[in-house]
Amino acid sequence: MNSPLLDSVIVVLREVLEFSLLVSVLLVAGRCAALRARWLVPALLAGLAGAGLYGARLRQVSTWFDGVGYEVVNAGLQILVYVSIVAVIGLWVRTRHREPAPALPWVMAGAVALAVTREGSEIFLYVSAFIGRPRAVPDLLIGSVLGIGVGFSIGALLYYLLLGFQRAVTFALTVGLLALIGAGMWSQATMLLVQADWLPDSQPLWNSSGWLPEGSLLGQLLYALIGYEATPGPWQVGLYGASILLALGVAAAAARGSGMAIHSRRRPP
Amino acid sequence: MLACLLACTPLAAQPPTYDIRIRDHLFEPAELTIPANTKVRLAVHNLDPTPEEFESWELNREKVILGGQTAIIFVGPLPPGEYPFFGEFNPKTAQGRLVVR
Repeated sequence: MNSPLLDSVIVVLREVLEFSLLVSVLLVAGRCAALRARWLVPALLAGLAGAGLYGARLRQVSTWFDGVGYEVVNAGLQILVYVSIVAVIGLWVRTRHREPAPALPWVMAGAVALAVTREGSEIFLYVSAFIGRPRAVPDLLIGSVLGIGVGFSIGALLYYLLLGFQRAVTFALTVGLLALIGAGMWSQATMLLVQADWLPDSQPLWNSSGWLPEGSLLGQLLYALIGYEATPGPWQVGLYGASILLALGVAAAAARGSGMAIHSRRRPP
Repeated sequence: MLACLLACTPLAAQPPTYDIRIRDHLFEPAELTIPANTKVRLAVHNLDPTPEEFESWELNREKVILGGQTAIIFVGPLPPGEYPFFGEFNPKTAQGRLVVR
């Protein structure tokens, strides 16, 4: 039997990358909001528990909705991550010049726990295949540790890169990246709903696999960060664009609210 | 959203079903021909005891199939061409392609 070393690096890295980039951008937002990162460890633990539970129940879940329970539940999780990200944007931008909103760490934790549940369940299932193969376990462990290490290193790189800019630039980039990561959630959710036949399939609007294949390293990185697809369908592109507009609209409305709050506070009594 | 989902759900007869089996981390058949411009239903039977993830960049499809389980994956309507797919958990062996004619 082949050694699972390289396969496990790739499988684990692909899943870890998706939530490590989200965690990095949320940590940057938290840092800008002078929020302590105490929410992160409980969120990761809740996500791991959710991943184990979901992975263990996937056999039943798969049979829901005439056999497309996997697609529907995963799409649901992804849409909930998007909703949490938009809530983070709204709360963070609104209280940007004040004490952070008490709900902010909770929605950040919710976004991470849901994302880890979704991505972690696939790692859980992948690893579960090795229960009957004790000789493959050392390679599996080394591969998984490498995958996790590389995934979190790329996340750390993004974190320090974002914090290296001037405050206003970091702020704008972080809001923009949150909106793009959220839109990536819709891109994946749409793909799953098309696969489930809940949304109609149609010809892709374009094919960019010639110059940036989805399976390439950069393609995978962009897939994890902004939901890159080489051959997206019209529903995918439409919902992607609409979700960015909604997230930026929430940011703009929150910024106006934040400006008014400062204005009214400065007004003499 | 709900209204749209209901409206978009086809009321017509089920699309034709094509079977693919996974055995010893291999797809059987490894090459499957389906008609062009037709929606089909792939029934992927995982005969191995271990889970597999059916994945295709070209088809925009990914689905975890547990050991002993059958997954339904809707594909198409597609223009003629070749669309590779693979098993993400065993990519060295689990390779296949859809030929659309």
